[in-house]
Amino acid sequence: MNKITQSRLLQITAVFLFLQSLIITLSPAARARTWDVEYRFLQWIALGVWGLLVARAHYDITRKLPDADPYLFPAAALISGWGLLTIWRLDTNFGVRQTGSFFISMVVLIAGTRLLTIDFLRRYKYILLTCGMFLVTLTLIFGTNPSGSGPRLWLGYRDLYLQPSEPLKFLLVVFLAAYLADKLPSRLRTIHILYPTIILSGIVILLLIIQRDLGTASIFTALYTIIIYLATGRKRILLAAFFLMAFVGVAGYYFVGIVQARVDSWLNPWNDPSGSSYQIIQSLIAIANGGIVGRGPGLGDPGFIPVALSDFIFAAIAEETGLFGTFGLLAIIGLIITRGLRVALRASDLFRRILAAGITAYFGVQTILIVGGNLRLLPLTGVTLPFVSYGGSSLLTSFIALFVLIHISNHLDIDPAPLPKPQPYLALGAFLSLGLFACALTNGWWSVVRGADLLTRSDNQRRMIEEQFVSRGLILDSTNSIINDNHGKIGSFSRNYKYVDLAPVTGYTDPIYGQAGLEATLDDYLRGIKGNPTSTLWWSNLLYGMNPEGLNVRLSIDLYLQNRTDEMLVGKRGAVVLLNAKTGEILVMASHPTFNPNHFDESGTKLITDPNKPLINRATLGQYPAGSIMQPFIDALYGDESVNDNVLINVFKTFGFYQAPQIQLPVAPALSQDDIDTMRVSPLQMALASAALSNHGVIPAPRIAMAVNTPVEGWVSLPELGKPIEAIQAQAGDDAASSYLVENQTYWRHSGQAQEGESSFTWFIGGTPPNFQATPLAIVVLLEENNLRLAQRIGEELLVDAMHP
Amino acid sequence: MTALLVLILRVALAIALYAFLGRILFTLWQDLKQQGEFLSSQKKPGIHIHAVLENGKDIQQRFVQSEVTIGRDPNCDFPVIDEAVSAHHVRISYHHSQWWLEDLNSTNGTFMGKIQVTVPTVLITSDQFKCGGTTFTILVDMVDEKLLQ
Repeated sequence: MNKITQSRLLQITAVFLFLQSLIITLSPAARARTWDVEYRFLQWIALGVWGLLVARAHYDITRKLPDADPYLFPAAALISGWGLLTIWRLDTNFGVRQTGSFFISMVVLIAGTRLLTIDFLRRYKYILLTCGMFLVTLTLIFGTNPSGSGPRLWLGYRDLYLQPSEPLKFLLVVFLAAYLADKLPSRLRTIHILYPTIILSGIVILLLIIQRDLGTASIFTALYTIIIYLATGRKRILLAAFFLMAFVGVAGYYFVGIVQARVDSWLNPWNDPSGSSYQIIQSLIAIANGGIVGRGPGLGDPGFIPVALSDFIFAAIAEETGLFGTFGLLAIIGLIITRGLRVALRASDLFRRILAAGITAYFGVQTILIVGGNLRLLPLTGVTLPFVSYGGSSLLTSFIALFVLIHISNHLDIDPAPLPKPQPYLALGAFLSLGLFACALTNGWWSVVRGADLLTRSDNQRRMIEEQFVSRGLILDSTNSIINDNHGKIGSFSRNYKYVDLAPVTGYTDPIYGQAGLEATLDDYLRGIKGNPTSTLWWSNLLYGMNPEGLNVRLSIDLYLQNRTDEMLVGKRGAVVLLNAKTGEILVMASHPTFNPNHFDESGTKLITDPNKPLINRATLGQYPAGSIMQPFIDALYGDESVNDNVLINVFKTFGFYQAPQIQLPVAPALSQDDIDTMRVSPLQMALASAALSNHGVIPAPRIAMAVNTPVEGWVSLPELGKPIEAIQAQAGDDAASSYLVENQTYWRHSGQAQEGESSFTWFIGGTPPNFQATPLAIVVLLEENNLRLAQRIGEELLVDAMHP
Repeated sequence: MTALLVLILRVALAIALYAFLGRILFTLWQDLKQQGEFLSSQKKPGIHIHAVLENGKDIQQRFVQSEVTIGRDPNCDFPVIDEAVSAHHVRISYHHSQWWLEDLNSTNGTFMGKIQVTVPTVLITSDQFKCGGTTFTILVDMVDEKLLQ
């Protein structure tokens, strides 16, 4: 009966791992969306080794231990196989090593099935514990770290490493079980019995604290408390341990740097996302990226999580299999715990009972500690997830402990040893189940409730991976000529900036330097998050874990006029804005000097520190003193009155200079009205004010992004962000414009200069006359030099060009 | 196309994982069911009680339930009219594959031969015990050993 159950479960496990391995093999094809890729085959080695060893172990367990619990071994085999494949998928070198550890673990287990009894553990308890402690002590002198730096918790010989604190966990459980089973039945007072255990465990814990292996130290403390509580049934022990832990925790917080760092990054991870909380935040982002269904084995990017192999393997599994996977994983660990406690309760003597319960507590506590740490439910401690994480010592110890549990379960008596108090065992079961349940709930919280927030964080590196796999929407001008498009194919897409001189306006999107300009403000459309039907988004995310293809966006920019402008501005510092005075559509927006975003990789750092500030869009972000260019506006508002500060403030207010224009571009912040001397105006603000003179006193709402090409409705126009403002009476505007008309020309104009310290600035404004029959236009030219002639030439030529297309 | 194939495999993967857990639930449930059926199929032997009152009158009755109370109270399973017998005098019950005799703190006590029954005592066929002036003789049915397990 047991044999059939166990073999069925192992068959299902084999199917599960086979499918997982197959998906990893195919994952490159799914990522690249083509069959022509390099498939991943290496992890099949691990599956082959797993299959052979598990089959052999199954054969031996069912033959030598026919009455053993049939659930324990398949459960451990499943999660260790899962861990093995996950490690191979992350790093094949570590995969090979872990496969070796798995081989050794299974050989030990298979050899163990030949043991008739485990009583030798009881007899040699002192020797075993002493050996364990000796090895840990050795690490104080000879300790190394396989990764070269960090706490030196390992003993190394050539390429083999042993972390003695792992087997010591098991040996401590064995010792306590054996010692208590020997002494408890005697009539000594409990406290006399406990003295030696307190001293021995204290030494062990102290050793670990000296080594800064605080995670393992807290596991030892928890295990010691639980085992003593189980054996004696006294609640006082729990209270005492709780207060001791709290005291040590608080003391550690104030006196030990690493404790403080861990606790701080646990309580306030968002304060320092790139420093001390980097690990936990990357873990949460990975978990959020997994969502409910996961990305699929091989299809996520768990490589972004630091130490994903060992400490954060739960987060890696969560990313690739989602809530479905982690709930299953936690359920399987819960199963091991319930079966373990059942073995404990039905064990034939006190030693086996305490031992079984102690082993169960070891699995449970360690799982909750590290899974809780991954989920920010608990402070992070660098312990392993039993059976799953990378680490030979941990895997071997887990399997030895499991074997002991299986061995005890083979000799369950019909009449178990009498149990004076069942409450401690039930309390342990409830405590561990609640812990796992809390982990599952927290996992759901990060994956579902907070998932979207986490994924849009700028430190989510998956966004940049996505850029390489999903083609970004094009940016087009008003006649659908391409401004920005993409290079390369799926997996190697990169942005191609065809009309380079517009770079300060359209901005850039770069894996290192981030995004700027229209590429940033229109990102949701260009990335396909907005504008696509929900079903397309959902399906694309399910299939690829990525958003669908980006949508093309059309600007109001006229590339012909833009090009004319840029030619005239070459070598200058300045800005030009030409817009439709009625609709606010921006036909030209130039900012010089410009830069070439196609070569951002080489020149990025230099551009950022360039004193000429080429990255800044001067048309919207530049703020300049207005000087004499204000005259037409003063005329429009006050006629011939004499100018004073109040008049100027009123003019600035009326023409919107105290407001930041609303447009899909970063703009300079609105200035305060208090100080007239520091008053600054951006070219865009000036252009909008000039438009009021050509548009019967109405300031239009500026627009640059006009429409987006959606798959369902075709071109859909993007709404304007601001509203037109009636600044002055239509007649006053018309009169002001008329008084600046140029003879024999169909435009008005005015130029002016401003001085600030050493720097001088030249402004030119102009526009179509009030009675103009075609499209009304307004223009602003700003030069960061004293050059009235050039400003005038640029402004007039452009106006004429724009009026006669 | 590739991603669709992988999606199908991913669904199969999730099914396999939950098949594992489902299979465990199924076998645990089957275990439970089997245990229930086993317990309900356990046959207990009937018991035949023969009482001889002080006045020589005798009553006898056979019981198949697992618990029989004897006393003066007419609500007892086996009421006897004897002033020396308490209202609820003894209980005879079947558990641990045996019939057990248990005195219910009676006034005059229960005796097997000369020994007073103070702790639950196993009863076998042809055992006799005395409550007040009444003597009871027990006959336990013979049951097929196989059914008793």
